[in-house]
Amino acid sequence: MKMPGNRLGMELMIQVFYKPRSAIHTPNSMAPEPSKSSIFPRTDWAELNKAAEADEARLDRLIRLYWVPLRIFLVATFPGLKNQADMLLQDFAEDKLLKEGWLRRADQNRGRFRDFLKTSLRNFVLDHLNRAEVKNPPISLEELEQEPPQPDDHTEEFDLAWARTVLAETLRRMEADCKNPGEDQPRRSHIWELFRIRLLEPIFNDAAQPSYDRLIDQFGLKSPTDASNTLLSAKRIFKTHLSRVIREYAGQDAATSAEIQALEDFLVRLAKRG
Amino acid sequence: MSDFDSSAAVFKSRAKKLATLLASGEERAKLWRPDELAAIFRHQMSAPMLVDLGSFDPRTATRLRTLSEAQGLVLKSFADLFHHPVPRIELLELVKNFAKANLDHPESGLPGEIAATLYYASIAAALVRLDARISQLPDADLQRGLRWTMEQAWLDEKTKELLAQALERAAGGQKGAGS
Repeated sequence: MKMPGNRLGMELMIQVFYKPRSAIHTPNSMAPEPSKSSIFPRTDWAELNKAAEADEARLDRLIRLYWVPLRIFLVATFPGLKNQADMLLQDFAEDKLLKEGWLRRADQNRGRFRDFLKTSLRNFVLDHLNRAEVKNPPISLEELEQEPPQPDDHTEEFDLAWARTVLAETLRRMEADCKNPGEDQPRRSHIWELFRIRLLEPIFNDAAQPSYDRLIDQFGLKSPTDASNTLLSAKRIFKTHLSRVIREYAGQDAATSAEIQALEDFLVRLAKRG
Repeated sequence: MSDFDSSAAVFKSRAKKLATLLASGEERAKLWRPDELAAIFRHQMSAPMLVDLGSFDPRTATRLRTLSEAQGLVLKSFADLFHHPVPRIELLELVKNFAKANLDHPESGLPGEIAATLYYASIAAALVRLDARISQLPDADLQRGLRWTMEQAWLDEKTKELLAQALERAAGGQKGAGS
Protein backbone atom coordinates (compact mmCIF):
# COMPACT_ATOMS: atom_id res chain seq x y z
CA MET A 1 0.00 0.00 0.00
CA LYS A 2 1.21 3.44 -0.88
CA MET A 3 1.75 5.79 2.02
CA PRO A 4 -0.95 8.43 1.93
CA GLY A 5 0.25 11.95 1.37
CA ASN A 6 -2.61 13.64 3.12
CA ARG A 7 -5.08 13.27 5.90
CA LEU A 8 -7.88 12.01 3.67
CA GLY A 9 -5.63 9.26 2.42
CA MET A 10 -4.61 8.36 5.95
CA GLU A 11 -8.20 8.28 7.15
CA LEU A 12 -9.26 6.09 4.24
CA MET A 13 -6.46 3.69 5.01
CA ILE A 14 -7.45 3.56 8.66
CA GLN A 15 -11.11 2.99 7.81
CA VAL A 16 -10.17 0.12 5.56
CA PHE A 17 -7.69 -1.58 7.82
CA TYR A 18 -8.52 -0.53 11.32
CA LYS A 19 -11.61 -2.11 12.83
CA PRO A 20 -11.42 -2.10 16.63
CA ARG A 21 -13.18 -4.90 18.41
CA SER A 22 -15.74 -3.85 20.95
CA ALA A 23 -15.97 -6.87 23.25
CA ILE A 24 -13.89 -6.27 26.33
CA HIS A 25 -13.62 -8.54 29.32
CA THR A 26 -15.01 -6.71 32.33
CA PRO A 27 -13.69 -7.83 35.67
CA ASN A 28 -16.57 -6.07 37.37
CA SER A 29 -18.98 -9.00 37.21
CA MET A 30 -16.36 -11.35 38.61
CA ALA A 31 -15.37 -9.22 41.55
CA PRO A 32 -16.28 -10.66 44.96
CA GLU A 33 -17.83 -8.38 47.56
CA PRO A 34 -14.97 -7.16 49.73
CA SER A 35 -15.18 -7.78 53.41
CA LYS A 36 -16.06 -4.60 55.22
CA SER A 37 -13.62 -5.38 58.00
CA SER A 38 -10.71 -6.24 55.71
CA ILE A 39 -7.43 -4.62 56.66
CA PHE A 40 -6.24 -4.88 53.05
CA PRO A 41 -6.85 -1.99 50.67
CA ARG A 42 -10.06 -2.52 48.77
CA THR A 43 -9.64 -2.99 45.04
CA ASP A 44 -11.92 -0.58 43.27
CA TRP A 45 -12.85 -2.70 40.24
CA ALA A 46 -15.14 -0.05 38.83
CA GLU A 47 -12.33 2.49 38.89
CA LEU A 48 -9.86 0.00 37.48
CA ASN A 49 -12.29 -0.93 34.75
CA LYS A 50 -12.92 2.70 33.94
CA ALA A 51 -9.19 3.31 33.81
CA ALA A 52 -8.70 0.30 31.55
CA GLU A 53 -11.43 1.47 29.21
CA ALA A 54 -9.97 4.95 29.19
CA ASP A 55 -6.54 3.49 28.46
CA GLU A 56 -7.96 1.40 25.67
CA ALA A 57 -9.71 4.36 24.08
CA ARG A 58 -6.57 6.43 24.48
CA LEU A 59 -4.39 3.78 22.88
CA ASP A 60 -6.87 3.35 20.03
CA ARG A 61 -6.86 7.09 19.45
CA LEU A 62 -3.08 7.37 19.56
CA ILE A 63 -2.49 4.47 17.17
CA ARG A 64 -5.17 5.81 14.85
CA LEU A 65 -3.50 9.22 14.85
CA TYR A 66 0.07 7.97 14.55
CA TRP A 67 -0.70 5.17 12.10
CA VAL A 68 1.53 6.60 9.36
CA PRO A 69 4.75 6.89 11.43
CA LEU A 70 4.12 3.48 13.01
CA ARG A 71 3.63 1.92 9.58
CA ILE A 72 6.81 3.58 8.31
CA PHE A 73 8.73 2.21 11.28
CA LEU A 74 7.24 -1.27 10.92
CA VAL A 75 8.00 -1.51 7.19
CA ALA A 76 11.48 -0.06 7.62
CA THR A 77 12.28 -2.45 10.45
CA PHE A 78 10.72 -5.52 8.85
CA PRO A 79 10.81 -4.95 5.07
CA GLY A 80 9.63 -8.50 4.45
CA LEU A 81 6.36 -7.72 6.22
CA LYS A 82 5.42 -4.78 4.04
CA ASN A 83 2.29 -6.44 2.70
CA GLN A 84 1.13 -7.35 6.18
CA ALA A 85 1.99 -4.05 7.84
CA ASP A 86 -1.55 -2.74 8.15
CA MET A 87 -2.85 -6.03 9.46
CA LEU A 88 -0.05 -6.21 12.01
CA LEU A 89 -0.67 -2.65 13.12
CA GLN A 90 -4.34 -3.43 13.51
CA ASP A 91 -3.47 -6.47 15.63
CA PHE A 92 -1.03 -4.35 17.61
CA ALA A 93 -3.77 -1.80 18.31
CA GLU A 94 -6.20 -4.48 19.36
CA ASP A 95 -3.87 -6.67 21.37
CA LYS A 96 -5.55 -7.13 24.71
CA LEU A 97 -2.40 -7.97 26.61
CA LEU A 98 -0.81 -4.85 25.23
CA LYS A 99 -3.73 -2.68 26.22
CA GLU A 100 -3.91 -3.86 29.79
CA GLY A 101 -1.48 -1.70 31.62
CA TRP A 102 0.54 -0.80 28.56
CA LEU A 103 -0.19 2.88 28.76
CA ARG A 104 0.46 2.85 32.49
CA ARG A 105 3.87 1.36 31.78
CA ALA A 106 4.32 3.98 29.07
CA ASP A 107 3.30 6.64 31.56
CA GLN A 108 6.18 5.61 33.78
CA ASN A 109 8.46 6.25 30.83
CA ARG A 110 7.09 9.65 29.93
CA GLY A 111 9.39 11.71 27.82
CA ARG A 112 10.35 8.61 25.89
CA PHE A 113 6.90 7.67 24.72
CA ARG A 114 7.92 7.41 21.07
CA ASP A 115 10.78 5.05 21.91
CA PHE A 116 8.51 3.01 24.14
CA LEU A 117 5.94 2.74 21.35
CA LYS A 118 8.58 1.62 18.84
CA THR A 119 10.01 -0.97 21.21
CA SER A 120 6.53 -2.28 21.95
CA LEU A 121 5.66 -2.54 18.27
CA ARG A 122 8.96 -4.23 17.45
CA ASN A 123 8.52 -6.73 20.29
CA PHE A 124 4.93 -7.32 19.26
CA VAL A 125 5.97 -8.11 15.68
CA LEU A 126 8.84 -10.34 16.84
CA ASP A 127 6.45 -12.21 19.09
CA HIS A 128 3.98 -12.51 16.24
CA LEU A 129 6.74 -13.88 14.00
CA ASN A 130 7.86 -16.38 16.62
CA ARG A 131 4.34 -17.66 17.04
CA ALA A 132 3.61 -17.68 13.33
CA GLU A 133 6.87 -19.46 12.62
CA VAL A 134 5.80 -22.42 14.70
CA LYS A 135 2.35 -22.68 13.13
CA ASN A 136 2.38 -21.33 9.65
CA PRO A 137 5.25 -19.02 8.84
CA PRO A 138 4.11 -16.03 6.81
CA ILE A 139 7.62 -15.61 5.51
CA SER A 140 10.43 -18.08 5.27
CA LEU A 141 13.03 -18.40 7.99
CA GLU A 142 15.58 -17.74 5.31
CA GLU A 143 13.93 -14.44 4.52
CA LEU A 144 13.86 -13.49 8.16
CA GLU A 145 17.54 -14.22 8.50
CA GLN A 146 18.27 -12.08 5.48
CA GLU A 147 16.32 -9.21 6.95
CA PRO A 148 16.93 -9.21 10.65
CA PRO A 149 15.13 -6.43 12.49
CA GLN A 150 17.42 -3.52 13.23
CA PRO A 151 16.05 -1.68 16.21
CA ASP A 152 17.84 1.65 15.88
CA ASP A 153 18.17 2.15 12.15
CA HIS A 154 14.81 3.64 11.30
CA THR A 155 14.36 6.11 14.10
CA GLU A 156 14.92 9.17 11.94
CA GLU A 157 12.31 8.25 9.37
CA PHE A 158 9.88 7.40 12.12
CA ASP A 159 10.55 10.61 14.05
CA LEU A 160 10.10 12.76 10.94
CA ALA A 161 6.77 11.10 10.18
CA TRP A 162 5.83 11.53 13.83
CA ALA A 163 6.68 15.25 13.77
CA ARG A 164 4.65 15.66 10.57
CA THR A 165 1.69 13.94 12.18
CA VAL A 166 1.92 16.11 15.28
CA LEU A 167 2.10 19.32 13.22
CA ALA A 168 -0.65 18.31 10.79
CA GLU A 169 -2.96 17.45 13.68
CA THR A 170 -2.07 20.72 15.43
CA LEU A 171 -2.93 22.79 12.36
CA ARG A 172 -6.11 20.78 11.71
CA ARG A 173 -7.34 21.47 15.24
CA MET A 174 -6.30 25.11 15.12
CA GLU A 175 -8.17 25.68 11.86
CA ALA A 176 -11.29 23.96 13.20
CA ASP A 177 -11.05 25.94 16.43
CA CYS A 178 -10.66 29.29 14.68
CA LYS A 179 -13.39 28.59 12.14
CA ASN A 180 -15.91 27.82 14.87
CA PRO A 181 -15.59 30.90 17.05
CA GLY A 182 -17.77 31.51 20.07
CA GLU A 183 -20.17 34.44 20.14
CA ASP A 184 -17.71 36.36 22.27
CA GLN A 185 -14.92 35.81 19.75
CA PRO A 186 -16.25 37.32 16.54
CA ARG A 187 -12.79 38.00 15.13
CA ARG A 188 -11.38 34.56 15.83
CA SER A 189 -12.02 33.39 12.28
CA HIS A 190 -9.65 36.13 11.10
CA ILE A 191 -6.91 34.62 13.19
CA TRP A 192 -6.59 31.46 11.10
CA GLU A 193 -6.59 33.46 7.86
CA LEU A 194 -3.94 35.82 9.19
CA PHE A 195 -1.81 32.89 10.39
CA ARG A 196 -2.26 31.15 7.05
CA ILE A 197 -1.29 34.04 4.79
CA ARG A 198 1.39 35.48 7.06
CA LEU A 199 3.10 32.24 8.15
CA LEU A 200 1.81 29.04 6.55
CA GLU A 201 1.65 30.04 2.87
CA PRO A 202 5.15 31.60 2.89
CA ILE A 203 6.62 28.58 4.69
CA PHE A 204 4.94 25.77 2.80
CA ASN A 205 4.14 27.32 -0.60
CA ASP A 206 7.06 29.76 -0.81
CA ALA A 207 4.50 32.56 -1.16
CA ALA A 208 5.63 36.13 -0.58
CA GLN A 209 4.87 37.31 2.92
CA PRO A 210 2.00 39.83 2.63
CA SER A 211 2.94 43.38 3.54
CA TYR A 212 1.83 45.00 6.78
CA ASP A 213 -0.36 47.42 4.81
CA ARG A 214 -2.15 44.55 3.08
CA LEU A 215 -2.81 42.86 6.42
CA ILE A 216 -4.38 45.94 7.99
CA ASP A 217 -6.57 46.48 4.93
CA GLN A 218 -7.63 42.85 4.64
CA PHE A 219 -8.38 42.30 8.31
CA GLY A 220 -9.46 45.80 9.31
CA LEU A 221 -6.77 46.04 11.98
CA LYS A 222 -7.14 49.30 13.86
CA SER A 223 -3.63 49.89 15.16
CA PRO A 224 -0.22 48.18 15.34
CA THR A 225 -1.19 46.91 18.79
CA ASP A 226 -4.36 45.42 17.34
CA ALA A 227 -2.36 43.86 14.49
CA SER A 228 0.32 42.52 16.82
CA ASN A 229 -2.21 41.13 19.28
CA THR A 230 -4.07 39.33 16.49
CA LEU A 231 -0.87 37.74 15.20
CA LEU A 232 0.25 36.91 18.75
CA SER A 233 -3.13 35.30 19.40
CA ALA A 234 -2.63 33.12 16.33
CA LYS A 235 0.74 31.99 17.63
CA ARG A 236 -0.71 31.29 21.06
CA ILE A 237 -3.55 29.22 19.62
CA PHE A 238 -1.02 27.26 17.56
CA LYS A 239 1.11 26.67 20.65
CA THR A 240 -1.90 25.66 22.72
CA HIS A 241 -3.00 23.04 20.20
CA LEU A 242 0.57 21.81 19.75
CA SER A 243 0.85 21.31 23.50
CA ARG A 244 -2.51 19.54 23.66
CA VAL A 245 -1.66 17.15 20.83
CA ILE A 246 1.64 16.26 22.48
CA ARG A 247 0.23 16.09 26.00
CA GLU A 248 -2.11 13.33 24.85
CA TYR A 249 0.86 11.00 24.61
CA ALA A 250 3.65 12.69 26.52
CA GLY A 251 1.76 13.46 29.71
CA GLN A 252 2.27 16.26 32.15
CA ASP A 253 3.49 19.74 31.28
CA ALA A 254 7.21 19.13 31.83
CA ALA A 255 7.23 16.08 29.59
CA THR A 256 5.21 17.95 26.96
CA SER A 257 7.69 20.83 26.96
CA ALA A 258 10.58 18.39 26.72
CA GLU A 259 8.92 16.62 23.80
CA ILE A 260 8.29 19.90 21.93
CA GLN A 261 11.94 20.79 22.42
CA ALA A 262 13.03 17.32 21.32
CA LEU A 263 10.96 17.54 18.12
CA GLU A 264 12.30 21.02 17.41
CA ASP A 265 15.92 19.94 17.99
CA PHE A 266 15.42 16.88 15.81
CA LEU A 267 13.94 18.91 12.92
CA VAL A 268 16.66 21.55 13.12
CA ARG A 269 19.35 18.84 13.16
CA LEU A 270 17.78 17.13 10.17
CA ALA A 271 17.33 20.43 8.31
CA LYS A 272 21.02 21.32 8.79
CA ARG A 273 22.01 18.06 7.10
CA GLY A 274 19.90 19.10 4.12
CA MET B 1 -11.00 31.82 1.15
CA SER B 2 -8.17 29.59 0.08
CA ASP B 3 -8.08 25.89 -0.58
CA PHE B 4 -4.87 25.60 1.44
CA ASP B 5 -4.64 22.07 2.86
CA SER B 6 -2.37 22.30 5.89
CA SER B 7 -2.20 18.54 6.37
CA ALA B 8 -1.08 17.89 2.78
CA ALA B 9 1.40 20.76 3.06
CA VAL B 10 2.94 19.34 6.22
CA PHE B 11 3.14 15.76 4.94
CA LYS B 12 4.97 16.74 1.77
CA SER B 13 7.37 19.16 3.47
CA ARG B 14 10.93 18.53 4.48
CA ALA B 15 12.39 19.02 7.94
CA LYS B 16 13.55 22.59 7.23
CA LYS B 17 10.03 23.89 6.62
CA LEU B 18 8.66 22.04 9.62
CA ALA B 19 11.42 23.49 11.80
CA THR B 20 10.61 26.97 10.46
CA LEU B 21 6.95 26.52 11.40
CA LEU B 22 7.85 25.45 14.92
CA ALA B 23 10.28 28.36 15.31
CA SER B 24 7.96 31.01 13.89
CA GLY B 25 5.10 29.74 16.03
CA GLU B 26 7.12 30.72 19.07
CA GLU B 27 5.85 33.91 20.69
CA ARG B 28 9.36 35.19 21.20
CA ALA B 29 9.94 35.15 17.44
CA LYS B 30 9.74 38.64 15.92
CA LEU B 31 6.28 39.39 14.63
CA TRP B 32 7.27 41.98 12.06
CA ARG B 33 10.17 42.44 9.68
CA PRO B 34 12.47 45.49 10.05
CA ASP B 35 11.37 46.74 6.62
CA GLU B 36 7.79 46.92 7.91
CA LEU B 37 8.55 49.45 10.64
CA ALA B 38 7.78 52.46 8.43
CA ALA B 39 4.31 51.11 7.61
CA ILE B 40 3.73 50.19 11.24
CA PHE B 41 4.73 53.65 12.44
CA ARG B 42 2.48 55.32 9.82
CA HIS B 43 -0.35 53.14 11.01
CA GLN B 44 0.42 53.95 14.65
CA MET B 45 0.40 57.70 14.00
CA SER B 46 -2.93 57.55 12.17
CA ALA B 47 -4.55 55.08 14.60
CA PRO B 48 -7.31 56.41 16.89
CA MET B 49 -5.81 56.97 20.33
CA LEU B 50 -8.91 55.50 21.92
CA VAL B 51 -8.19 52.09 20.38
CA ASP B 52 -4.84 51.76 22.14
CA LEU B 53 -5.11 53.96 25.20
CA GLY B 54 -8.70 53.05 25.92
CA SER B 55 -7.60 49.53 26.72
CA PHE B 56 -6.00 50.62 30.01
CA ASP B 57 -9.23 50.64 31.99
CA PRO B 58 -12.78 52.07 31.61
CA ARG B 59 -12.00 55.09 33.76
CA THR B 60 -8.96 55.99 31.69
CA ALA B 61 -10.96 55.48 28.52
CA THR B 62 -13.63 57.90 29.69
CA ARG B 63 -11.04 60.43 30.81
CA LEU B 64 -9.28 60.07 27.47
CA ARG B 65 -12.48 60.72 25.55
CA THR B 66 -13.21 63.78 27.64
CA LEU B 67 -9.68 65.14 27.28
CA SER B 68 -9.41 64.57 23.56
CA GLU B 69 -12.75 66.27 22.88
CA ALA B 70 -12.28 69.10 25.39
CA GLN B 71 -12.37 72.73 24.38
CA GLY B 72 -13.50 71.96 20.91
CA LEU B 73 -10.30 70.10 20.18
CA VAL B 74 -10.74 66.81 18.48
CA LEU B 75 -7.57 64.82 18.95
CA LYS B 76 -8.23 61.53 17.33
CA SER B 77 -4.88 60.12 16.30
CA PHE B 78 -1.41 60.04 17.81
CA ALA B 79 -0.25 62.35 15.01
CA ASP B 80 -3.02 64.84 15.92
CA LEU B 81 -1.72 64.89 19.47
CA PHE B 82 2.02 65.15 18.77
CA HIS B 83 1.61 67.89 16.21
CA HIS B 84 -1.07 69.93 17.96
CA PRO B 85 0.21 73.40 18.93
CA VAL B 86 -1.07 73.02 22.52
CA PRO B 87 -1.63 69.34 23.29
CA ARG B 88 -3.14 68.29 26.65
CA ILE B 89 -0.34 67.24 28.96
CA GLU B 90 -2.47 64.46 30.48
CA LEU B 91 -2.88 62.95 27.03
CA LEU B 92 0.85 63.07 26.43
CA GLU B 93 1.40 61.37 29.79
CA LEU B 94 -1.10 58.68 28.90
CA VAL B 95 0.72 58.02 25.63
CA LYS B 96 4.05 57.93 27.45
CA ASN B 97 2.67 55.41 29.97
CA PHE B 98 1.14 53.31 27.20
CA ALA B 99 4.48 53.22 25.37
CA LYS B 100 6.39 52.39 28.55
CA ALA B 101 3.97 49.60 29.42
CA ASN B 102 4.62 48.08 25.99
CA LEU B 103 8.37 48.52 26.30
CA ASP B 104 8.42 46.86 29.70
CA HIS B 105 6.04 44.02 28.85
CA PRO B 106 7.93 40.96 27.58
CA GLU B 107 4.86 39.69 25.72
CA SER B 108 3.94 42.95 24.04
CA GLY B 109 3.59 42.48 20.31
CA LEU B 110 4.21 46.15 19.53
CA PRO B 111 7.72 46.38 18.08
CA GLY B 112 10.10 47.87 20.64
CA GLU B 113 11.23 50.50 18.11
CA ILE B 114 7.66 51.77 17.70
CA ALA B 115 6.95 51.79 21.44
CA ALA B 116 10.23 53.65 22.09
CA THR B 117 9.38 56.21 19.43
CA LEU B 118 5.95 56.84 20.95
CA TYR B 119 7.64 57.21 24.33
CA TYR B 120 10.19 59.79 23.19
CA ALA B 121 7.73 61.60 20.89
CA SER B 122 5.33 62.18 23.78
CA ILE B 123 8.17 63.54 25.92
CA ALA B 124 9.34 65.67 22.99
CA ALA B 125 5.87 67.10 22.36
CA ALA B 126 5.54 68.12 26.02
CA LEU B 127 8.97 69.71 25.95
CA VAL B 128 8.55 71.57 22.67
CA ARG B 129 4.86 72.56 22.74
CA LEU B 130 4.30 73.02 26.48
CA ASP B 131 7.79 73.61 27.77
CA ALA B 132 7.11 70.83 30.26
CA ARG B 133 9.08 67.81 31.25
CA ILE B 134 6.97 64.67 31.71
CA SER B 135 9.89 62.31 32.17
CA GLN B 136 12.25 61.77 35.05
CA LEU B 137 14.97 60.42 32.82
CA PRO B 138 18.40 61.95 33.51
CA ASP B 139 19.38 64.52 30.85
CA ALA B 140 22.02 62.33 29.26
CA ASP B 141 19.62 59.39 28.93
CA LEU B 142 16.87 61.59 27.55
CA GLN B 143 19.19 63.10 24.95
CA ARG B 144 20.51 59.69 24.00
CA GLY B 145 16.95 58.40 23.59
CA LEU B 146 15.82 61.37 21.51
CA ARG B 147 18.88 61.09 19.30
CA TRP B 148 18.39 57.35 18.80
CA THR B 149 14.75 57.90 17.84
CA MET B 150 15.65 60.64 15.35
CA GLU B 151 18.09 58.33 13.64
CA GLN B 152 15.49 55.72 12.77
CA ALA B 153 15.38 55.54 8.99
CA TRP B 154 11.65 54.85 8.86
CA LEU B 155 10.65 57.94 10.85
CA ASP B 156 8.63 60.67 9.07
CA GLU B 157 10.08 64.15 8.67
CA LYS B 158 7.52 65.87 10.88
CA THR B 159 8.28 63.65 13.87
CA LYS B 160 12.02 63.95 13.22
CA GLU B 161 11.65 67.73 13.36
CA LEU B 162 9.76 67.51 16.68
CA LEU B 163 12.48 65.30 18.15
CA ALA B 164 15.21 67.60 16.87
CA GLN B 165 13.60 70.59 18.57
CA ALA B 166 13.20 68.60 21.78
CA LEU B 167 16.83 67.55 21.66
CA GLU B 168 17.86 71.16 21.27
CA ARG B 169 15.80 72.15 24.30
CA ALA B 170 16.98 69.20 26.37
CA ALA B 171 20.57 70.04 25.55
CA GLY B 172 19.93 73.67 26.50
CA GLY B 173 19.02 72.86 30.09
CA GLN B 174 16.30 71.39 32.25
CA LYS B 175 12.78 72.57 31.52
CA GLY B 176 9.65 72.46 33.66
CA ALA B 177 8.94 70.05 36.47
CA GLY B 178 9.32 66.30 36.26
CA SER B 179 6.25 64.15 36.84
